[in-house]
Amino acid sequence: MSDGASRFEEFPVDAVHVGLTLFVLAVLFLYSPLFVQPPGGTFTVLEVVVLFLLYAMILVGLNLQFGHAGLVNFGPVAFFAVGGYTAAMLTANEPFRAVGLGYPWPVGLLAAILVAAALGVLLGISTLRLRDDFLAIVTLAVAEIIHGLLETQSDITGGSLGLNNVPRPIAGTTTAGDGAVLVSTIIVFGALALLFYGVFRRLSASPYGRVLRAIRADEQVTETLGKRVFRYKLAVFVYGAAVAGLAGALLVFYNGAAAPGFFTINVTVIVWIGMLIGGAGSDRGVLGGLAIIMSFQLFTRFLNDQIPFVTQDQFASIRLVLIGLLLMVIVKYRPEGIWGDADELGVES
Amino acid sequence: MTLLAVDGLRRSFGSLVAVDGVSFEIEAGEIVGMIGPNGAGKTTTFNCILSVIDSDAGTVSFDGADVTGGPPHALARRGLVRTFQQTRELETLTVADNMLLAAPEHPGERAWHAVGRTSTSAQREAAARERAMELLEVFDIAGMVEEYAGNLSGGQRKLLELARSLMLDPKLLLLDEPFAGVNPSLTNEIVGHIEALNDDGMTLLIIEHELETLTDLVDRLIVLADGQVLATGPPAAIMENEEVIDAYLGG
Repeated sequence: MSDGASRFEEFPVDAVHVGLTLFVLAVLFLYSPLFVQPPGGTFTVLEVVVLFLLYAMILVGLNLQFGHAGLVNFGPVAFFAVGGYTAAMLTANEPFRAVGLGYPWPVGLLAAILVAAALGVLLGISTLRLRDDFLAIVTLAVAEIIHGLLETQSDITGGSLGLNNVPRPIAGTTTAGDGAVLVSTIIVFGALALLFYGVFRRLSASPYGRVLRAIRADEQVTETLGKRVFRYKLAVFVYGAAVAGLAGALLVFYNGAAAPGFFTINVTVIVWIGMLIGGAGSDRGVLGGLAIIMSFQLFTRFLNDQIPFVTQDQFASIRLVLIGLLLMVIVKYRPEGIWGDADELGVES
Repeated sequence: MTLLAVDGLRRSFGSLVAVDGVSFEIEAGEIVGMIGPNGAGKTTTFNCILSVIDSDAGTVSFDGADVTGGPPHALARRGLVRTFQQTRELETLTVADNMLLAAPEHPGERAWHAVGRTSTSAQREAAARERAMELLEVFDIAGMVEEYAGNLSGGQRKLLELARSLMLDPKLLLLDEPFAGVNPSLTNEIVGHIEALNDDGMTLLIIEHELETLTDLVDRLIVLADGQVLATGPPAAIMENEEVIDAYLGG
């Protein structure tokens, strides 16, 4: 048994198989007249579930990059945004004051993956030979530059209003209302998230993942043992970029619109905190961490109504403070995260 | 047959010329020691040969091919493998993973095989594991196989690093101070391993600061001083060489 497989006990079933099966069933479900109408009060929760599934796709890529290979990518939202806007601009029908080419949605989806991956290649080739902290700075800066461009280049991107009239392929399969669309979306995104989890899990649990963890431990030694370190780093950078790009496209096709507000640094912060809380390098742990942080946000959103004398603005700040405190507690008392492995991450807890 | 030929290697750091026109050859089957006082340029020479750092001038050919400036991973695959002066275990990997990582030409290290969970990958993994266990038995650290390398003692790390480099089936093994910080009984153990490897036909180049251990072990000594080859020859002749004695006492 390889060490990777014995360290985490495996799912009794393989996530790749389940994800694929579920995806086929989800597509059949979409094209059937069947629908599921959720109870009225659950919409807010279901919307967070949709976001969770998209962020989970970003996170499985980020965890391969940072948790396994040790690459500090502080800009996953850049690829998410580029994917989202590529899809939106290619498919939107006469959006208000922005580029909208009106192509069918599969074109937008494919282009989103390719353009995000291309950005990954470009950024990877120029920065992955540099020291770790340079990569962190450059990815953070690129994400901010892209966000800035989306807001200022309003003739192309629609500025702060964004683009509307983007096709909604899943919504188009039912006339049963928003609730049914939410459920259908969750089934499709859930299948895809599970599939990507399974694929990235297979990478990390194989000899491939062993090379990545060796790179994290000591690049030079890994190179002298005959491994093409740079190629591995570039590959995982691009894989993560491509999946984040796809997730961005899924988001705009779900919303029927793209706006800078979907692609702020908050996305990066949430997935990073989820990863650190859950335990970087633990493939399932990071998703648990993401679930914790997003549940916290959801729960505290409702909590505001229960507390008098606190305005919404103040409450938003308090939430951020609490998230920051949680992160500090984790880093101080359990640096490997809840499900992480201290030996493997080389930290003392 | 000449296995390694180094010709006119130069490397400077600012105004300091660390390696100043070093030339030497290693024949297949030899054990050669490279000695010299601190700062003589031994490790820099190693690093230039393996192009861990770029050399300013000079050529390196290995096993009949010019490998000057070639990427380090390519040299490892050709059979030119090194260890480090400070042992550099991959501490956050287990002993087993340290060994398995070094297995050459592993299809499972390619994404397609990893995601497809191919049988060729599984077979290679099983063969590599078998080889790794053999080597760990030889080096007497098989009991630590599931331990993280960071939890090994200093001596065990030396042995693991040696065992790990053998996973690559090197033609020429470069050992950078294998006896530094090692107690006498472990020194004898490592000497025994080196002699056994050489008996099996492996060529070795050993950097060492101390002369004593090397004189009995090696066929030939290369003496570096101030970035240049001062003398080369059998240990007995080198020990008598006036220039060498001066360099050591003066340095």
